[in-house]
Amino acid sequence: MSARFHFAPAVGTPLCWFSAATRVGAALDPVGREGMTRHVAELARRGAGGLDRAALDSAIDCLGASIEVEVDRDWLSVTATCLERHLDRTVELAASVLADPLLERGEHEMLLRESLHELDDVRDDDASLADRHFHRVCSPGHPYARTALGTQESLARIELAPLADYHASLWAPEHMVVGVAGPMTVARAETVADRVRAAVAGRTGARPPALDVPPFPPGRRIILVDKPKRTQCQVLLGHLAPVYGPGDFVALMPLETAFGGLFSSRLMQEIRVARGWSYGAGCRMSKARAPHWFRMWMAPTADHAADALALTLSLYDKLAAGGLDADEFQLAIHHLTGALPFASATARQRMRLALRHDLLDLPEDFPAQLPALLAALTVDDVREAAGRWLRPRDLCIVMVASADEMVPRLERAGSPPSEIVAYDSY
Amino acid sequence: MPWTTEITHPFASALHVRRHRLHNGLGLVVLADAGAPIVSYQTWYAVGSRHESPGQTGMAHLFEHLMFGQTRTRPAGEFDRTIERTGGDSNAATWVDWTYYRDSVPARDLALVIALESDRMVNLALEPAVLEAEREVVANERMQRVDDEVEGFADEELSRLAYTIHPYGWPTIGWMEDIRSMGMADVQRFYETYYAPNNATLVVVGDVDEVRLLELVERHYGDIAPAELPAEKRVVEPAQESERRRRFAKPTPAPRLLRGYRAVDQAHADWPALSFVASLLSSGPSSRLHRRLVIEREISLGADCDVGPQRDPGLFRIATQLTREHQAEEAEAEIDAVLADLAERRVDDAELEKVRSVVETDYWGELEGVDGRAEALGHYQTTLGDFRKLFEVAERLSQVTAEDVQHAVRTYLIAERRCSILIDPEGDDGGGVRDDDPSDDGDDGHAAARDDQ
Repeated sequence: MSARFHFAPAVGTPLCWFSAATRVGAALDPVGREGMTRHVAELARRGAGGLDRAALDSAIDCLGASIEVEVDRDWLSVTATCLERHLDRTVELAASVLADPLLERGEHEMLLRESLHELDDVRDDDASLADRHFHRVCSPGHPYARTALGTQESLARIELAPLADYHASLWAPEHMVVGVAGPMTVARAETVADRVRAAVAGRTGARPPALDVPPFPPGRRIILVDKPKRTQCQVLLGHLAPVYGPGDFVALMPLETAFGGLFSSRLMQEIRVARGWSYGAGCRMSKARAPHWFRMWMAPTADHAADALALTLSLYDKLAAGGLDADEFQLAIHHLTGALPFASATARQRMRLALRHDLLDLPEDFPAQLPALLAALTVDDVREAAGRWLRPRDLCIVMVASADEMVPRLERAGSPPSEIVAYDSY
Repeated sequence: MPWTTEITHPFASALHVRRHRLHNGLGLVVLADAGAPIVSYQTWYAVGSRHESPGQTGMAHLFEHLMFGQTRTRPAGEFDRTIERTGGDSNAATWVDWTYYRDSVPARDLALVIALESDRMVNLALEPAVLEAEREVVANERMQRVDDEVEGFADEELSRLAYTIHPYGWPTIGWMEDIRSMGMADVQRFYETYYAPNNATLVVVGDVDEVRLLELVERHYGDIAPAELPAEKRVVEPAQESERRRRFAKPTPAPRLLRGYRAVDQAHADWPALSFVASLLSSGPSSRLHRRLVIEREISLGADCDVGPQRDPGLFRIATQLTREHQAEEAEAEIDAVLADLAERRVDDAELEKVRSVVETDYWGELEGVDGRAEALGHYQTTLGDFRKLFEVAERLSQVTAEDVQHAVRTYLIAERRCSILIDPEGDDGGGVRDDDPSDDGDDGHAAARDDQ
């Protein structure tokens, strides 16, 4: 089976985009070497096709182009943006990143140092810090609990020697998806895809295994990430959500929208509009190949954090027990069906949408099927799906705050933290 | 009334932009594009934080929040619910020179959004309870973006250091004490003063029929009376005579350096060359500063440069986050060396051509979607009075020469025009602030108090 291909023609812009993606992501990093997929993909971008890092950077920049690596838990992509007149040369350079990386020792060591500095950067931003810890503790042992960036310890274990074989195994044509968008004919787009495929022709790789998802831990856990001198508290609450696709995920989309996906949603109205406790509040289900997270979020002041948490838990209890009312359900359905054109308004968006759904093993036209799937839902369907997935008693709660301020408040509210960790411990 | 402008410009290829003005002064800029069945409907008001006074900083931004409340004809929450029911969404932004409201809706719902926006231009019903709730929200927003975020804090301190009397010196979100003290009467007066058709431009980009659009706009906005806009007091920031520096300690793992050089307004002939220099220094991994700081010296995570696109002279900013084992002074030395080389030696043709390609790609990238196109048109129409400047600036960027680059660096990127904010990781000795240079003319005590909020 050859690499799959998606094309979206564009008018009114001289820009082109193309992506090569593979179904191996950070969730499949070797155990103990978290961050390895990201590392090798980025390292390949730092010298390829006989050009060292400086020469490759210069060659790309001279075209006004960019070639960027993106690593998700389920997939890895190399995406290029360029002016149409530079398309051929940009394809040549991107193909060399896939097929002929230098993987130099000096760059390998420098990238490891940079990754440690990026860890500092993540810890510096409270929202990113909360997100990193939520992934770590939400469902221990879950493949998505693994960090794409890696940890200080896992990065130290990544050695150069096995990286060439590992990189080659990532880009097996049978698992690749290629997307092209821009002001060109389908024939020219196919030529682009052919050149990308040809670069890695003959390589083989095992199909990525199904992800093994452990049972979600019972009970409520509050993990406090202690960071000094915070005026606010970043809060994430959640548990597992269904796999993205037809079925329960679609049935829960109206609930996600009405509870925390809009400005008029329950969380936003109660936390922000009615009380002014947080600049924002909402919820989201992550789209992935295996059950991922359903997450609620807010950022109240330390003074309001315990009250905001209690209110959110109470709202969530009510949602799990009663689902949506008819008005909320109707507004959510209208919104979800009306919103689809915005996600596919430009050629780049259409290409990206098709590519992402392909990587998640969903039909390319799944977004187009959504209106019919949503229209067929009833408020009872949503309530039943909520009964299967919403777990108010089994929640992971991560709070980034100053422990000296927050612990007494949580204790007074009867919700002491189960665990306190230093912000720079992970 | 006929459309007054149709753009044909090498940098506006396939962008057919037209302009109209109603009898009450309301401007209308339209770019019809049937590429997708959606519309970006943006209302740009020529009011920003520059129109505020000391003691009332943050008014324009707080007001942006209040504009999503009830009107005399629609109850609280209806605006958002109506937009969301279409599948669209709305948001707003406030900056120094403008405030704009964006509604992204399916094309079939154009009439609906026109009715909503025209209603809140004239019928907003301000209530004390709503003001109090939004005051808390804005206070939270400030904590999130400034007090708990080092980058936001540094930005705020740089502006305060660079501008001693000009309104660009205070933050758009406002000082916390002003947010806490703003009164209902002040808010009401602000609305009546600035929210009027003759202080606004509608920018509509997307799948629209221009004839029907104009008919709807005339019907919904035509009867709104213009306001008597106050004459704007022009504030000219005094020339800076020497470098200014401030140093802070914050709970952050690594140092940061933020520099601002007193530059020019966006209409100035040198603005495109400065923007070009910003790209030359930091756009792409082979750019001069990125290469020097991140790759060769390994002392920074990245480097970002830009020049403020503002009505009055803005700042040319250079920002870099050091790695934990290095100091801000090391980055300063490297940046100075790179700038000295640019001032001394002419940029060769290959590098000029490279930056031109980068700038061209960035330009088209910003215009990719309907929202981006509307934002670009609205910014130029509101800041410089003519959306066509968008295309003129793009053309001038493509014509920047080596001499232009050298002139811009030698004239503007010099120590006498520079303000520097240095952030150190907080040690055991606590936090606080100190002047890094005895020649600094800032207000130390005030800054320390601000830092404690």
